[in-house]
Amino acid sequence: MNILVCLDDTDNLESPGTGHLASLLVSQLEERGWGRGYYITRHQLLVHPDIPYTSHNSAMCFAVQLDEDCPPERLIEHAGSFLAEESAPGSDPGLCVAIPELLSDAEPLLAFGRAAKQQVLTKANAYALARQLGIHLSEHGGTGQGVVGALAGVGLRLSGNDGRMKGRLNFGSPGERRSVAELLADPLVDVVRSLDGQHPEATETVELGEKIKTVLLEGQSVLLLERTGDPAVSWRTCSRRQLKDY
Amino acid sequence: MTDTQALPSFLLGPEDWSSAATLAVACGVFRPDVDEEQIADEKVSCYNCRYRRWLAKGISCLAECH
Repeated sequence: MNILVCLDDTDNLESPGTGHLASLLVSQLEERGWGRGYYITRHQLLVHPDIPYTSHNSAMCFAVQLDEDCPPERLIEHAGSFLAEESAPGSDPGLCVAIPELLSDAEPLLAFGRAAKQQVLTKANAYALARQLGIHLSEHGGTGQGVVGALAGVGLRLSGNDGRMKGRLNFGSPGERRSVAELLADPLVDVVRSLDGQHPEATETVELGEKIKTVLLEGQSVLLLERTGDPAVSWRTCSRRQLKDY
Repeated sequence: MTDTQALPSFLLGPEDWSSAATLAVACGVFRPDVDEEQIADEKVSCYNCRYRRWLAKGISCLAECH
């Protein structure tokens, strides 16, 4: 069974980020033999004076392929206790766990994710939708405001067209060159294409930049490139600045 | 974290890359944010600092010295 887990609002100015807690949680689930975790994505939500957030208002989501003998309730209970224990003082952590295959209509969840990037949503909005769709949503400290971002993050991850991968891919040092085929060989890369949608040949050469990461597009982990204008090496990986709006 | 009371004491627009790098290099309290929240290519930049706070039209600084 494939499930989506999203955490939001677990940090303060001095603590490790929500992404760090998401990584820890994935590790714990795998160590217990409950399933296999997939990459974590970061989803930007609206920043607005009426929304409480520490410094950036982003949610962290990951997928887990649960083993058949691990009921979702076991993961939910563990994740809730984990958040209550590990979240930073002053934070307002929220947890959302959804089972996409059980959703009769995912559109309201996708719409909630889109809305959370454009307008102020409330805990009441989030709980009402979670109840309607049968999605687990819970708060684990403080005001529990993180439930809004947690539900939105699941919607955005499920949309397949939002967010960038937490962490970075290690293909080599900046300035080194790799073929497109070599980049595609990484299990965390589904597609290699340019910012404007071109698909380079497998034999074409790519110059590596710093801190390479993928973004989520059309449900796939996509490594974006830009043209160099140099005939010796046609492509280079995109910089952080170029990926900031994903 | 509920922190809506923090007043922006310092502000840059969202794409002022050069100023963000210059100011951060000169700043005594720059501290890199976690990797996934960094967006500037310059390692030392206000946009990559843990103490910046994103607003609709740029960033403010939450460091006590500003």
